[in-house]
Amino acid sequence: MPTTRRNFLTVSGAAAALALSGSLPEIKTAAAGWTGRVDRRDPFTLGVASGDPLPDAVVIWTRLAPDPLAPFGGMDRRPVEVQWQVAEDEQFRRIVRSGTARTGPEASHSVHVDVRGLRPWRHYWYRFRVNGQLSPVGRTKTAPAYDAVVPELSLAFASCQAWWEGWYTAYADMAKRDHDVVFFLGDYIYEFGIDRGIRPHSNEPYITQQTVTLDEYRQRYAAYKLDPDLQSAHAKAPWIVTLDDHEVVDNWADEAHPSAPPAQFRVRRANAFRAYWEHMPLRLAQLPKGPDMQLYRRIRYGRLAEFNVLDTRQYRSDQAYGDGTKAPGPETADPARTITGDAQEKWLLDGWAAAQTRWNVLAHQTAIARLDTKDGPEVLVPMDTWDGYEASRNRILGGAAQRKVRNLVSIAGDLHRSVASDLKLDFNDPASATVGAEFVGTSITSGIDGEDLDAGGATLLRENPHMKFGNFQRGYVSCSITPQRWISDYRVVDKVSVQGGTVSTRAKLLVEDGRPGIAEVQK
Amino acid sequence: MRIPRQTVVAAGTLLAAALLGSSSMPAATSDVAVGVAPEQLSVVGLPCFPSTLNLTMTNTGSQDRYADLTLEPTGPLQLSRTLFSSWLPALDPDQPVSAPVEVRVPRDTKPGSYNIGVEVDRNRVTVPVTVEPLPSKGPGDNLALGEQATASSTHGNFTLCGAVDGDKDPEHWDTLTGWNDGTRAAFPDTYDVALSAPATVNRVELYTLDSAKYPARLNGLRDWDVQVKVGGAWQTVTQVRGNTLGHVTSTFDPVQTDAVRILCLDGNDHTYSRIVELEVYGT
Repeated sequence: MPTTRRNFLTVSGAAAALALSGSLPEIKTAAAGWTGRVDRRDPFTLGVASGDPLPDAVVIWTRLAPDPLAPFGGMDRRPVEVQWQVAEDEQFRRIVRSGTARTGPEASHSVHVDVRGLRPWRHYWYRFRVNGQLSPVGRTKTAPAYDAVVPELSLAFASCQAWWEGWYTAYADMAKRDHDVVFFLGDYIYEFGIDRGIRPHSNEPYITQQTVTLDEYRQRYAAYKLDPDLQSAHAKAPWIVTLDDHEVVDNWADEAHPSAPPAQFRVRRANAFRAYWEHMPLRLAQLPKGPDMQLYRRIRYGRLAEFNVLDTRQYRSDQAYGDGTKAPGPETADPARTITGDAQEKWLLDGWAAAQTRWNVLAHQTAIARLDTKDGPEVLVPMDTWDGYEASRNRILGGAAQRKVRNLVSIAGDLHRSVASDLKLDFNDPASATVGAEFVGTSITSGIDGEDLDAGGATLLRENPHMKFGNFQRGYVSCSITPQRWISDYRVVDKVSVQGGTVSTRAKLLVEDGRPGIAEVQK
Repeated sequence: MRIPRQTVVAAGTLLAAALLGSSSMPAATSDVAVGVAPEQLSVVGLPCFPSTLNLTMTNTGSQDRYADLTLEPTGPLQLSRTLFSSWLPALDPDQPVSAPVEVRVPRDTKPGSYNIGVEVDRNRVTVPVTVEPLPSKGPGDNLALGEQATASSTHGNFTLCGAVDGDKDPEHWDTLTGWNDGTRAAFPDTYDVALSAPATVNRVELYTLDSAKYPARLNGLRDWDVQVKVGGAWQTVTQVRGNTLGHVTSTFDPVQTDAVRILCLDGNDHTYSRIVELEVYGT
């Protein structure tokens, strides 16, 4: 970071914003909310969402965008007041919290309400109203009390939803199943320009042009969030999100990207982060300060599970050997290089030292397990996954083993393929201890239809004895977690290139309490 | 929905409200300096010949901020964007943040003077725009200049119109001109130009990448067919194979056509098809 003569001002500005959030505007008269103009267009074209549940709180989200792809989403520049309600029942007979939120063009007319004072581990329904128009109703669920014994948790996780490469059939399936929470692990949008896609309108500029400026990132989120299946998955359960590379630009690393020198790249990163926050159900604690955003955080589900949501983009060392797929070497083993950054690594290891839950989960971007992609004795691994940061991997997995972390499970995305692996203390030694299990979920659409087992997947299975399952179709993972076991149900879509594809379970994988790694694969 | 005012519990932390803290009072003066380059613009009514205005916002204040620049065209001017929003760091020295806007007019636009209003924080700058007459497209003129191009794909760092923009200088490759397909190591690729009216043509001049840094023998187009569209079907009029030069002239029997295609079959590095400029001439 360059020195700025104005750093202190930036910090005090952020503090002022935080302070303001403590003083809540009271409900005003209806007239104060809508300043005269009667607008009959539906402002809720991008749906509703909720996220980051706590035992007593959840964030509810919407964005007013009557003309979602137009500048400012078709809104004018004046501030708007949006009413919100949270109820214990779908008919809103028992409203337990309600209020008014103010928004404006500075926030893309997004509304993030951190609803407090809720009861743990129960469903709530929420909705918004503006200008006499009602939003769709969303359903959410708070987390259990910290000391609660939780008999079962159901979760889904997903990643990589290239809009132009297919239909979000996986989300329609996800919305039909009853999940307590959904994790999204990166690549919610794609920033780059494309020239053709399989959906209608794939050749419109709002999809084909790369995003660099804030208005462009905002428009890209709007284009993606218009999808009804994505909206229904958001409206059905709270989401806990983190980002990967394409929310900013392909394979960025901290302040490094070949597209621009660091000073210029920081501006792009700030624009990307701002649009990301505006469109995700995140708290004020995650609001970016320019090019910096506090995204790694912990979310706990009683005594059953603790989720460490990681950010392995913002603080990582630049990819070794110029990125790509390379042989491991001194650079990948260099202990000075990191995928988490020092502060996040310390936060994670310190958190584990104090961990009290049955399951301890890493919810993050990309595979930790080694992925040798080359047949034969030669080893070629991706430089962008944890394979490119071996010393970092050894510190995290070794740190987990030292701290005797109970039932370590990693959930991730990025690869556009399903990969389930044992996490080894030393991937160079197949006989070394297994310290956890890793479930990498495939993409929602990225890569179009795929196939059950492609040549690359067959090579991975041959070359990586710790890998227990692979599939190259599109889909997501639905998990059931009890104190005794974790079951990952790999849901795959036969075709995303057409509407109405068929979703089925390709494999169920089991992890047992007290036994690190994958115990069983049912195909 | 009915908001039960008596029972309202204002328990939510209103995050959005916090974002608006500094915006309620419109500033009389702005700490954002606006730049436009060029200061006045010429536009011609060709479909693939946009004029580009480069917009710059610079934070001259003491605090990082976000800013919105809005664009308002008059008359027939068509803009690729009417909004440019960005985070603007407060740095010393100042850091300008730029974005381009493409300006087009329909082919039948009468020459004349128009303008684009550029506004940030209610401070307005006006950019004069002159619509120029269409270039002559008679015998001896480049019939492809600025006409509508279509490609099998275009790499994200390039624009579709980059190979019909009149700039055949390979040193301007990438940032300023040229077309590069978007599918690495996958051939064939096609680059088509639709002529404004059917014409009898007999010569194509193709400039592929041939700069000091990227010589044609290593990075240029190697094998291609020149095709013309006749009665809705593409027919090959001549072929080039094993090329290592930056500029290739292809002549063929005069043929009446309404479009010309380069069917790219291979490059010297076998990765991308690269055309700096494509020119089409008739008799």
